[in-house]
This record gives sequence, structure tokens and C-alpha cells, in this order.
Amino acid sequence: MAQTEAFETDFWKDANLRKVWDDIVPGEPRKTIPYTLTKEAIELYCKSVGEDHPIYFDEAYARTTRYGGLIAPPSIHILLMFSCTPADDWMRSPGTVNAGQSWSYNIPARPNDVITLQARALDKFIKRERLFVVHDNVFFNQRGEVICSGRGWTIRPM
Amino acid sequence: MTATFDNLSAGDVIDGPKFAVSRESIRLFCDASLDYNPLHLDDDYMKGSFGKTNFGGIIMHGMNNFGLISRMLTDWAYPAGAIHRRLETRWVKPVRPGDTIQPSGIIKAKQTSEKSRWVLIDVVVKNQAGEKVATGEALVEFPRDLFCQ
Repeated sequence: MAQTEAFETDFWKDANLRKVWDDIVPGEPRKTIPYTLTKEAIELYCKSVGEDHPIYFDEAYARTTRYGGLIAPPSIHILLMFSCTPADDWMRSPGTVNAGQSWSYNIPARPNDVITLQARALDKFIKRERLFVVHDNVFFNQRGEVICSGRGWTIRPM
Repeated sequence: MTATFDNLSAGDVIDGPKFAVSRESIRLFCDASLDYNPLHLDDDYMKGSFGKTNFGGIIMHGMNNFGLISRMLTDWAYPAGAIHRRLETRWVKPVRPGDTIQPSGIIKAKQTSEKSRWVLIDVVVKNQAGEKVATGEALVEFPRDLFCQ
């Protein structure tokens, strides 16, 4: 759990180090960090959205399924987005408003997977006086298999 | 009744779980997602305006909606041996502490591809007033080698 303990929860700290809309270059990779997904982190995520399916908790049950063992819910990428990026990532800028998301799922993440992220801003634009950035992300497991890929639209703080 | 590709029809409804939103549920989502944006935590900060928008108080993470929709889809798909493959969402209205939200889905179309079978689902999340807070579209695969759970 050292990863979680080290996570800076004050998003104001280092806020001045983060890129603002003007600095963000579409196509430029974001810095990312590998993250080991623990059973405890999956369970906490499940609790936060009320996930109670035994495939996330019950090893004996999970072995009888097509997945052959415990998995994480598909939407675990919500956690992975923050756990795989450093404190100066612009996704943490206070006031970042999520406008929409689109995700495709290939294989599930599992407890003890070492997850890596390839991410970039893909586009930025201005609409109705708001500053938008489109970000593009692919999460991989330790075998280089794609777990999921997705895009998000955020309104940047001004 | 467990869904099968053959017995599904356009217009069929999927009911998702009701979810009571509170300051505590939002804080738990912060801890679980590691998204500590002050939009979800800081009442003083939320008195301010964001460009053209003033929320008037803390709001739930949009991705909490996403997680609830995803939960509805997997809980529906797993017993059928189906696989949640895609979810696209837009947030249309902020959700606040005290709200109760509920996702639902309506089967929009069925499609067969060269190697598999697909169900397209319109999804929506509504609050206790029946207002849409999120809308979207999902894709669930019904593989030919069904593995029902």
C-alpha cells in the first residue's frame, strides 16, 4: 500500500508545476508511472460504487468463471488514471471539469497486475468560451496486453 | 430472466442500482479513485465560478456516474456470459450531496459481426426528480462461445 500512502491528496500542492491549456501540446506523451493494482485497491473502488459481484471478491467463485480468477471491474481505469500519473500531471489541476468519456475494454485488470499507461492530449479546442482538451489513454498489463483504452473530454480551469 | 442474444429486443429495459449521494459517498470515491479535485471536497472553492459555470457547492465526480453505469452493465452481462466492451458518456447536469441517482439502459439494436454478436444500449442516469444527469451509449458482446455464470 506504499503507493497509496505516497499519493499527494492535496491537488493544490505543485499546482503551479502543471501545464495550463496554453502549454498542452496535442500529441505529446504525458509522463506516466507503473502501478501495482492491489486486491485492496480493487475492493475499495468496488465499495465506492457499490460493486458487490463475487467475481471481484470471491477467489473460489472467480475460478469457475470465464476469467479463471479474480478480476477488477472494467471501470477500474478511473483509479488507474490517477495512480499511473505523477503529481504534476495536468489532469489534477484543481477545477478540471470532466465533460465526457469513452472507453473500450479488451481484457480485465487483475489483482497484482503491474499496470502501465500510454497517454497524451490528442486535441484541444475552444467552445462556448470554454477551453477543452481531449486526452487519449491506453492501459497495459505486465505482459503488454491492452486492458482498456479511452478518451476523455475535460474543460480546463481558467 | 437472464438475457440471451436471441431473446433481446430493441426497447428492452435494463434497470440499474439506486445510489444515494452524500458527502461521505463522494469522499469515499475520492479515496477509491485518487481523484481529490477540490470540486468534490472544498465548499469554499466551489463558491467561485468556473468560466461560465457556478456549481454553488461540491459536486459528485462525473466518473461516479460512469462507475454506476458500468456496474449495471456488468451485473446484467455476467449471468448471460456476455462482456461489457464499451461505454461512452456525457455529463449533462451536476449531481450533489442529497441526490439519489439511478442508471438505466434501453436496448437500441443488435448486430452480428464476422466473429461475434453485439448489443447496443442507450444508457442514462437520472436523479430523484427524473432529470437526466448523464447520457451515453454502451456496447456489450455476446460471444458465440457463451460462458454463462
